[in-house]
Amino acid sequence: MNQDQRYWNPVLETLPQEKLKKLQLKKFKRIFKWAYDNSKFHRGIYEKAGIKPDDIQSFEDISHVPKVEKSMMRDIQRKDPFPYGDALCVSLEDVTEFRQTSGTTGQPVYQADTWQDWEWWAESWSYVLWSQGYRPTDRVFIPFGYNIFVAFWAGHYGSEKIGCEVVPGGVLDTKARILKIQELKATAMMATPTYILGMAETAKKKMGIDPASLSINKITCAGEPGASIPSTKKRIEEAWGAKVYDHVGATEIGAWSYECEEQPGGLHVNEGLFLVEIEDVETGEIVNEPGRRGKMIITALDRQAQPCIRFDSKDIIEWAPEQCSCGRTYRLIKGGVIGRADDITKVKGVLLAPSAIEEVVREIDGLGEEFEVVVDKVGDIDQITLNVELMPGMEKQRESTEGRLKDQLRLKTNLGYNIIFHEYGILPRYEVKARRFKDLRKKH
Amino acid sequence: MYQETDLKEMDKKIKTIKFAADELKEMSCKFPAVYRNTARILASVKMLEINISDIMDV
Repeated sequence: MNQDQRYWNPVLETLPQEKLKKLQLKKFKRIFKWAYDNSKFHRGIYEKAGIKPDDIQSFEDISHVPKVEKSMMRDIQRKDPFPYGDALCVSLEDVTEFRQTSGTTGQPVYQADTWQDWEWWAESWSYVLWSQGYRPTDRVFIPFGYNIFVAFWAGHYGSEKIGCEVVPGGVLDTKARILKIQELKATAMMATPTYILGMAETAKKKMGIDPASLSINKITCAGEPGASIPSTKKRIEEAWGAKVYDHVGATEIGAWSYECEEQPGGLHVNEGLFLVEIEDVETGEIVNEPGRRGKMIITALDRQAQPCIRFDSKDIIEWAPEQCSCGRTYRLIKGGVIGRADDITKVKGVLLAPSAIEEVVREIDGLGEEFEVVVDKVGDIDQITLNVELMPGMEKQRESTEGRLKDQLRLKTNLGYNIIFHEYGILPRYEVKARRFKDLRKKH
Repeated sequence: MYQETDLKEMDKKIKTIKFAADELKEMSCKFPAVYRNTARILASVKMLEINISDIMDV
């Protein structure tokens, strides 16, 4: 096999947009009919909306198909067949995989997959990894506590499918993982950006190892938006001396996007396998032009056991105006996932995205990797407290650091903050999804 | 880049594999080792269809 080949699928990834659209329409009709014929839940919501499979002939028709929200999936799971409920399109004996969502936004949702779905997961990850330069010559280390979540399982299987050698870093602790990377001369790894930064910190401060001296040359981040936040990406790249790429996927959706080797400041949507629509949050209108933010409504066009059709992901995204120089015709979303509709909140009447705070904290020297944002009310007035850590030896720069931090936050978010400095190492460290944003106003 | 004729030929071979695997699966329902391995082959064939066959008529 020619490893110089730039694309995992040289035909699909370079298909002209008009042909991609035809393919997406054809596949949407197919998955809609599959769900209509095989899932009581889907048939129910479509019948209620008066839509039958033959009614779907255009993208305009698709925009009238009812959306599915996570809360609906939670309700379904109280029904038979246990534990998935009536969105299931196959018999239980055809289900080979159980996963559940991380529960970041509430009660976890259970996800059934057939073996075909699992092949599809690995396939969609193969697109991600190949575009980021993973090749059969790579030794991929996965420093992640594999468990009930889909996170990095599919990355593991995708790496194998590509032909990489995979080292599962499962239950090893951080120091053991670093030593294993050193011993085996691993060339690539994947984890959350928070954990990757934490590993670098442990290597440097507790083990006297410079992570940049190890053999890792590329890192795929997922689970949090960090790798699409320029200041966080820069910190990771400098710490490890490696290229850092973002990938966004979800248990109930699949591996739908990837940042390619060109690092174009955005993520490609895998439009051969997924249909992404952007919906204006205020008007509900579908947005096709670049530069207008909205909520992502997504369809996994080939998922079998528990279909994902017009799923309201709550992710806030926008189309990028330009095509990527990598030659892929798959459209880019600018800056990755900007935030979540349920995370972006109004503080003192101003829309605040937690990712904007991360961008500021990570670009200021002298601050640790961790931070925590607490929004609360003092009387009737919203107040934001930002907890940060000062790096050892930076105590004398505390005042100037605070000044820079406040100025940059005001500039980037139009809001004022109460800054609390902590001793280095005090704030919680996360391996899975970091929970750095707390809104306590609802508790009053 | 791939020519349409190459893709047609690939699609033809995918169909051949699928046909053979479907037949093998059908004749092996009392033979778990063959049945389950064929089911896995068919899952891989589906990925070939996603990558090639689905594109043929657009």
